Amino acid sequence: MEQVNPTRMELIQKRAQIKLAEQGRDLLREKMDALIQEFFRIMGSVSRSREELEGLAEDAYRALVIAQAVDDPVALRSVSFATRKQIVLDIGGKNIMGVPVPLIEKKRFAVPSLERGYSILGVSGRIDETAERFESEIDLIIGLAETETALRRLGHEIQMNRRRVNALEQVLIPELKAQAKYIKITIEEREREDLFRLKKVKKILNRKKRGRSLAGGETAGKV
Amino acid sequence: MDLGYINARVRGMHSRLLGQKDFDVLMIQKDIPSLASELEKTPYKDEIQEASVLYPGLKGIETALRMNLVHTCQKILSLVEGSDAEPLVLIILARWDIHNIKTVLRGKHVHVAPEEIEGALIPAGTLGEPLLREMIKQPDVRGVVDLLATWEVPYARPLTQCFDEYASSRELSVLEYALDRFHYEYAHSLLEGNKEDHEVMRKLLQLEIDSLNLKNALRMNRDKVDTGVAEGYFLPGGEHIPLEKFSALVSAGRIDEIAENLEGTPFAFLAPLVPEAMRTGKFSVLEKELDKYLTKKGSGVFRSDPLGGAVVIGYLWKKQNEVVNIRIIARCKDARISDAELEEELRHV
Repeated sequence: MEQVNPTRMELIQKRAQIKLAEQGRDLLREKMDALIQEFFRIMGSVSRSREELEGLAEDAYRALVIAQAVDDPVALRSVSFATRKQIVLDIGGKNIMGVPVPLIEKKRFAVPSLERGYSILGVSGRIDETAERFESEIDLIIGLAETETALRRLGHEIQMNRRRVNALEQVLIPELKAQAKYIKITIEEREREDLFRLKKVKKILNRKKRGRSLAGGETAGKV
Repeated sequence: MDLGYINARVRGMHSRLLGQKDFDVLMIQKDIPSLASELEKTPYKDEIQEASVLYPGLKGIETALRMNLVHTCQKILSLVEGSDAEPLVLIILARWDIHNIKTVLRGKHVHVAPEEIEGALIPAGTLGEPLLREMIKQPDVRGVVDLLATWEVPYARPLTQCFDEYASSRELSVLEYALDRFHYEYAHSLLEGNKEDHEVMRKLLQLEIDSLNLKNALRMNRDKVDTGVAEGYFLPGGEHIPLEKFSALVSAGRIDEIAENLEGTPFAFLAPLVPEAMRTGKFSVLEKELDKYLTKKGSGVFRSDPLGGAVVIGYLWKKQNEVVNIRIIARCKDARISDAELEEELRHV
């Protein structure tokens, strides 16, 4: 055990610390409950979007295979030059119970055939369909990036909180309680020792007093 | 050159096209290496051996197919040079010229590396490799258009006319649409004679234009494009889908309205497929049937006048169809698509 001064002051301090730690633990537990609730709420939408993404990716890949097979991969590469552009997104942030999570701008990348940058007269519907599927996939991935990041951060925060609660509950509070108990026992022991010592002194003093009074009586008899 | 001799040579080439049995053998191959070794037993042997040294696997097969198609087109072009069949072949091969010009323009528009542009070219058209290489060397779109004008390539005309619009809007599609429109106008201009071959080719071109207009009308109908805007994308020169029908297809509010508009045209066979395509937005189903129909019509001309130039056209359609079918088999094998689905995707004619 950590060296502590077994004083009343220290005991008061330790008791205050225990109270504070218990309050902290309760607060952290409440926060964890709220985080878990939020976590499960987001997880529902993430798993739905994940399933949707898997279906969409499978569709897009299938469309790509057919377009490559019928139109030649070289034709697809050529068309991709015409549609090549950067994806620019604004990313902000918000707080969920003190956990910073990203807020990604919702932008639709799926565009009508006429706005893709190539002539629809020279591009087959298969290629168009492939582009459409992949654009929808990008839309979903961007949405999913926001919720998945939020989910990951919430999960991390829940884990951290659990560790903190466990540290308070399993280590700090028991240690403080043990220290307080030790101080209390030590103080009580000291009090008992003091009492015993006082009784002992009183006894000695009484004995001395009695001895002196006996000696005084003998002298008076002789006189 | 004598068309009888050309047709005899083309018939010889036609006899080396793969038949149904060959396709059945290719389809039962387990994977890409076994497919490649099976293709080595076909007329694709030389290209497969050459390409597999450069690229193993699927890319090797696709490169070999492309090389074979390019060799075939160049061979046909040299065969028909100076003959009555030459304009017909030029029209067919122009689709690769358009592809190559568009690829270079697209590459220059977004500053793609020259090697990447070169890798996306198919030199099966009439534009020779020296011109294609020069085009790639140009610093920008303007340079490519100027080069085509200097080399007196007919496709420079629409590009020069629309260049100012492109320069102000920076929309590459302006040049692409001009090029596509000019392609069909130019093709029609090459077919001004009264010969039977020209008539056959004209019919094929009209069918191609009709099918393009039909596909685009349905796409725009789904995207709810305004009829006025859609009419700007109408390709003139078709036979069965005039502008009024095109507009009616674009503005049709109900699926049965679309089917009604298809009645009386050679595309009426698409009517039962329209509801499903409109509901799912998957136009590839319609496109596949349209492609099959076009390929059937295109390959069918092989059996026309044995001394006419259309025999070459029929062969080129069949050759392209064969290449597409082998590529479908290779891609589906690579993607582990089931045999039943593979058969579904094949464009057998």
